[in-house]
Amino acid sequence: MPLTLYVDGPRWRTHLQAVRDAHPGIVPVVKGNGYGFGVERLAARAAWLGVDTVAVGMYHEVTPVAAAFHGTVMVLSPWRPFETHVVFDSHVVHTVGRLEDLRALAERAAGSGAKPRVVLERLTSMRRHGFSARDLREAAGLVEGLAVEGVAVHLPISQGSHLTEVNRLMTDVVAAGLATHRVFVSHLTDTELGVLRQSYPDYEFRPRIGTQLWLGDRSALEVRSTVLDVHPVERGDVYGYRSRTAPAAGTILVVSGGTAHGIGLEAPTGGATLKDRAARIAKGGLDAAGFVRSPYTVDGKQRLFAEPPHMQASMLFLSHGAKVPAVGDEVDVRVRFTATTFDQTIISD
Amino acid sequence: MTSPALTVRTLTPEQHLDFLRTWTADGGSASFLQTPAWGTVKSEWRRESIGWYDPSGRLVGAGLVLYRQLPKVKRYLAYLPEGPVLDWDAEDLRVYLNPMVRHLKKAGAFGVRMGPPVVTRRWDAAAVKQGVADASVRRLGDVPPSERSQAGARVVSQLQELGWRPQQVEGGFAAGQPQYNFQIPLRDAGGAARTGEDVLAGMNQQWRRNIKKAAKAGVEVTHGTPADLPAFHELYALTAERDHFTPRPLSYFQTMFSALLAEEPDRIRLYLARHEGDLVAATVWVRVGGHTWYSYGASSTEKRDVRGSNAVQWAMISDSLAAGADVYDLRGITDTLDPDDSHVGLIQFKVGTGGEAVEYAGEWDLPLNPVVYKAFSLYMSRR
Repeated sequence: MPLTLYVDGPRWRTHLQAVRDAHPGIVPVVKGNGYGFGVERLAARAAWLGVDTVAVGMYHEVTPVAAAFHGTVMVLSPWRPFETHVVFDSHVVHTVGRLEDLRALAERAAGSGAKPRVVLERLTSMRRHGFSARDLREAAGLVEGLAVEGVAVHLPISQGSHLTEVNRLMTDVVAAGLATHRVFVSHLTDTELGVLRQSYPDYEFRPRIGTQLWLGDRSALEVRSTVLDVHPVERGDVYGYRSRTAPAAGTILVVSGGTAHGIGLEAPTGGATLKDRAARIAKGGLDAAGFVRSPYTVDGKQRLFAEPPHMQASMLFLSHGAKVPAVGDEVDVRVRFTATTFDQTIISD
Repeated sequence: MTSPALTVRTLTPEQHLDFLRTWTADGGSASFLQTPAWGTVKSEWRRESIGWYDPSGRLVGAGLVLYRQLPKVKRYLAYLPEGPVLDWDAEDLRVYLNPMVRHLKKAGAFGVRMGPPVVTRRWDAAAVKQGVADASVRRLGDVPPSERSQAGARVVSQLQELGWRPQQVEGGFAAGQPQYNFQIPLRDAGGAARTGEDVLAGMNQQWRRNIKKAAKAGVEVTHGTPADLPAFHELYALTAERDHFTPRPLSYFQTMFSALLAEEPDRIRLYLARHEGDLVAATVWVRVGGHTWYSYGASSTEKRDVRGSNAVQWAMISDSLAAGADVYDLRGITDTLDPDDSHVGLIQFKVGTGGEAVEYAGEWDLPLNPVVYKAFSLYMSRR
């Protein structure tokens, strides 16, 4: 019995359309696990939305996406000379952020007769990939034999306004004197994007949006796990792989969802405040005591793992007095969508 | 990209002036704030002319440096207003800036401030007018520019890279030179000189009507001499009172005229517009090479209907055309297009001439001694 993602179809689709309409030129991002939906489903959904371009994270994602989406597929990971496949596919746009890569790609293109499509990424304060201002100016002279589709700017998710940085980066873009006036941006607020469009009306801004699009309306999404087994225990009873003993009378609940689904594998959350960190230390404390808070909610309360999650199921400890669900019942589970694989996704019509 | 190393050395005022003459004769432009004579106008500051020499000993750039002393400390802000004059299109500005910075540091500078004479954006009169009319537009930057300069962006981009800091001018006139100016191009896109009729046709109806009105009323515009400066100053002081700005003393203008006239006989002119013997408007006109400026203006409160201001402007524009100038510069505007802002009237007056709003790269600072620079910034902000 499965770990299921239930989607309120009408609500979800309405949200998708609303985000699309509010962001002209949107480039949906469909990378990784497809935000829990899978890249193929999102690719098909992007086609339904009528956009002309989607973005994937890695080169191996191009093929499954291209099967369901017939427009342009932009690869966000920067192209490197060791990349061998889909280099010359006409529906693929490569991201390039180093002069040596640009030279290598142009050189390879010269031999093939093809004209690879590229976006030039400008390094931002994120310091992940991309050209410095000086390199971007130099890059403008190295693009012969390549089709430059635009410049990419990948900003951090910052607290303050991005506008100062974006204006500075835009000056670098103008300074490069590229033939294209298209800029792909990530993580700008709608207000920031509006201001930018006003001060650079001669440029086209295309926002790359993932989370806000696919997961922006959480109320349309519900994740539930199936109760697979129920075992009443007394204090001292032995259970589990590691033969632990129950600390008190209660119930061991076996539920679907384990490490194979991404359950119990905690990726650090984005929160970086003191409070967030304190909460994490507190969780570590639970760990030391033998019990860790699980993402499962039973009878209105978030329950503890009875032991670390297994590959495909988890054991929870339900203290005495709680309302015990029956085998086959479903319980709510809170997941990080970008790190979870669901057994099934049910989208209502 | 290896560029020949340049060296920066002190120039005599004569060498400096010779360079500017050659530079402007070759079609280059230089601000009057970068003439050696301007250094003598700003007599309260130590001044130095500096020059860039290439390895063959040729002078390829020049700048006027004003050293402004920090109170109580023998350290200076080295200030190059609207300069220096050099090839700002250079691929790598470090070639010019590094030796300059070394030179100024040796001279006791804790920081350098300069205003690269580089255009970044232009808005034609139609664009500015549209911006003023549009209620949602508050600043010039909100209006699509009619031209965005790649060369200008390249300068700004490089200054950012090299650690220079832009001095903010948002929302009004800052202490330094204006980043936004209004100019009438006196040549067409092909570089041919425009005619007076053409310039007149570019003006709005009100300007044309007022120029005609002044002529009909018998307003006479003449060139004054330094002996007429007291008359100019009297009117200028009244204007200052009316328009709420602080006037400069008469002696300032006397110094300015004697210094600039000593350098070039036609560097500076005084224009006087009279109606039946009454002085109704007076202005100061400056010229370096192909660039002419309307620098100071005054107008009477009485007899406004004879349109002395329009008449004197038209005389300056016509004379600039006759002198073969490339551009007539009405100097600073603020970037505000907010109809509620008191500065917007100034823009509207200038926009009527049919010229264009021009954004320069602005003023940039390079701190050389972070501690002293910080103290200086603090002192400036509290002034």
